[in-house]
Amino acid sequence: MFSHRGVIGIILMGGAYGLLAAGPAPLTPDQLAKAAKSDTLTIPTPGELFAALSKPGKPNWVAQYRAPIPMTYSNRAQIALNLGGLVADGFIAVEAQDGQQVKNIGADIIKLAKALGVSENVLGRGKSINEFAENDEWDALQEELEATQNEVKSSMQSNRDNDYVILVSLGGWIRGTQVVSGLIAQDYNADAAKVLRQPALVTYIQAQVKEISPDLQQEPLVKNVSERLSDIQKLVTFPGSGTPTAEDVRKLNEAVSSLMGAIQNKPDAK
Amino acid sequence: MKLRHKLLITVLALASGGPLQSAQTDSEVAARKVALELAGAFSNDGFKIRDGHWTGALKRGEQAVIAVNLYAGNQYWFSVASQGGAKISAVQLYDEAGQPLTTENYLDEEKIAAGFAPTVSGQYFVTIGPLEGEPGTFCLVYSYR
Repeated sequence: MFSHRGVIGIILMGGAYGLLAAGPAPLTPDQLAKAAKSDTLTIPTPGELFAALSKPGKPNWVAQYRAPIPMTYSNRAQIALNLGGLVADGFIAVEAQDGQQVKNIGADIIKLAKALGVSENVLGRGKSINEFAENDEWDALQEELEATQNEVKSSMQSNRDNDYVILVSLGGWIRGTQVVSGLIAQDYNADAAKVLRQPALVTYIQAQVKEISPDLQQEPLVKNVSERLSDIQKLVTFPGSGTPTAEDVRKLNEAVSSLMGAIQNKPDAK
Repeated sequence: MKLRHKLLITVLALASGGPLQSAQTDSEVAARKVALELAGAFSNDGFKIRDGHWTGALKRGEQAVIAVNLYAGNQYWFSVASQGGAKISAVQLYDEAGQPLTTENYLDEEKIAAGFAPTVSGQYFVTIGPLEGEPGTFCLVYSYR
């Protein structure tokens, strides 16, 4: 399954490991409930989702581009949600291996990050993104996009904007799910559709959203997103085999597309 | 992955102490450095390293359980490194019901990796320990392709 020519000096244990050791006991419900979870490890990047979808065949990533979103939001929650969505757009451009699009999105990410008052460190990331895009370093770009997002979140924490961190992750997850469910809905394939099953992930995001300050939870967009997440959680559960039907995929795409529309909507945008 | 980029990632990660983490101890930084080195070896095979990580201290008998969400179709390596003289005996993966899974394993004195390719998307759990010997600091990073 895995190749490992890059691992030098590491002892291969392989199957012998399992044969020599007694099988580990299952985890208890208490251990499962108390498992460590974090924004940066428990929530996958859009890049991971897109990588899984690329296995059966390369999707038409260019067709997934969307029109530029407004850069003039004044609502900080909306900026955070759209920042996450833009990072997902960056991963799409990387999958499409479109350097110019990566640079355009990188510039937009920095604009929204500035609007949130993030540190100079993040601005330096924009330069790295441009460099990697100019040199067609696609793997490096995947990692740099995530690092940029994490730098933004880290800066938010330093600015006591902790509540907005989960909104960035949420925006990225919604945009990523919108794109992937849309691609699968266009050309349904049961194997590819399996990537959409993520009930525990949405439950975790919901729990994080419920922990943000009561004032922010009452903000209309956050309230709207939070309420709709309950429905979306049901739409990504797929009990049984874990494989959604074409109809399941269509319903999910409809729900996340509608939510994405609300997130990026700015009625007076020019 | 280009060496320059690997270096950049490592240096930035270590310099910042890692995003979304509280201030890290020297042991945590050192453990992360080794874990990233191990994960970097898999980059030669096209695995991309996640920027996030888990670090923590474990005593004898203690076990860390970390939740991750994985996608069917991807392959993953979970790389763990230790500092402080602790030896890692096992990194184990469990499904969302807590049942152990078979993984491909690499083991060295202070670092270990488990490889896994899920056929079902969803939540999984990675465990480090239970620790049998000296206490120490551990770091988990993972990579995917």
